[in-house]
Amino acid sequence: MPVKVAQEWFAICGGCEVTVLDIGEPLLDLLPELEFVHFPVIMDHKLFGQTGENNTADIPQADVGIITGGIRNEENRHLAELMRSRVNFLIAMGSCACYGGIPALANQFPLEDLYDRVYRGNSTTDSGETPKGAVPALLDRVYAVDEVVKVDLKLPGCPTTPDMFAAAVMHLLKGTPFALEEKSVCDQCPTIREKKAVATLKRPLEPIEGAGEPLETVRCLMEQGFLCQGPATRAGCGGMDGGTPRCVKAYMPCRGCYGPLRDDANPMVDMMGALSTIGLDPAQISDRAAQFNRFAGAKGRLRAAPKR
Amino acid sequence: MNPTPSTSPTLATLATSHFEPVIIVYTCYWCSYTAADLAGTSRLQYPPNIRIIRVQCSGMVHPNLVIDALTNGADGVLMCGCHEGDCHYLEGNLRAKSRADAIKMMLEDFALEPERYRLEWVAASEGPRFAEVMTEMVEQVKRVGPSPYK
Repeated sequence: MPVKVAQEWFAICGGCEVTVLDIGEPLLDLLPELEFVHFPVIMDHKLFGQTGENNTADIPQADVGIITGGIRNEENRHLAELMRSRVNFLIAMGSCACYGGIPALANQFPLEDLYDRVYRGNSTTDSGETPKGAVPALLDRVYAVDEVVKVDLKLPGCPTTPDMFAAAVMHLLKGTPFALEEKSVCDQCPTIREKKAVATLKRPLEPIEGAGEPLETVRCLMEQGFLCQGPATRAGCGGMDGGTPRCVKAYMPCRGCYGPLRDDANPMVDMMGALSTIGLDPAQISDRAAQFNRFAGAKGRLRAAPKR
Repeated sequence: MNPTPSTSPTLATLATSHFEPVIIVYTCYWCSYTAADLAGTSRLQYPPNIRIIRVQCSGMVHPNLVIDALTNGADGVLMCGCHEGDCHYLEGNLRAKSRADAIKMMLEDFALEPERYRLEWVAASEGPRFAEVMTEMVEQVKRVGPSPYK
């Protein structure tokens, strides 16, 4: 009997859903074992019934639930709780679901400031009252899924790599444990590291020395002066076999999309330490909190400036 | 009863204040811990608010250890290392110094006062100076009050 899977998406771009479609050949082995009962992006199944005949939203009973995206508004929260009550095993997929992701950059500002900036005070928008009732109200900030409901497995990544998703599902089907990598991106990075910067901080659009040459002969990108978030980011983007990190493979510094190594770590503190240790000037970094918590703004890592 | 805050507390206001700060002191094995030892064997007096953690070198104190201490209940953190040029590992204390700049910047992000963190060089022979720095630090932290994370 195939395993029933329900999926729902919240504050997210839709990239993680594409991951499911992008699995490639392993999908042929997986598909007979899986039965998708609710998956808004790739199938037509509506919360209020196919013709909107029901008064309350419902998600079918399933064995595995997948949530992508952070919890941004009341509807997201309600559906996350509903999903939790309908499934036995809940997967938070993608960095938005695990750590808040890009939408959580908004956590730096109080809600009223956001409304002012984006709607009321915007010169190209006809300003109006914030709608009430007809659309779900925004929560005070973006929450990671596990801040709202219990999550059984977190698969970070922006997006999660198809082979990590496939591997996790395979393990679930077989009943074997699945664990994330506990190393940092630097541990899987083949570039040459000498723990000393050879230049001052550079902007990302400046040319990288050694681009196009084998990575084993290229100097560590951070030591070249580029902000690379490898030291504070979980490995795994290179694939389940521990391959070269995806961005480094393309001669680009890591942006930190796999999130922090530990749930309680603060990538900003780690990165400021790492930068000053190799001799780069951390004072030159503008907006350090958002820069280093780009994908990890939930769980209080990004918050409105405290009043003293 | 809370004493009225004052920028330069007299001994009397310090005595009536009930706030006893907890200050984590990272001392390096080669200089500052020896200085602490010397202060002890010389019977020098300094306030009992400090908790010394001996580390091999001030250069191994990652900013994490400072921020975590301050956000988990410590009222202040003091880092002590060898004087510049005296580091047993040649440049560990220079590393500590560049990290200290980053730490001072981040205190603001965590809504902590800059007085809560300090980096000091204390050589092995400077027992009296160790006692003096500890007394200064305790007074400095008492002035800013308890950590907002307590």
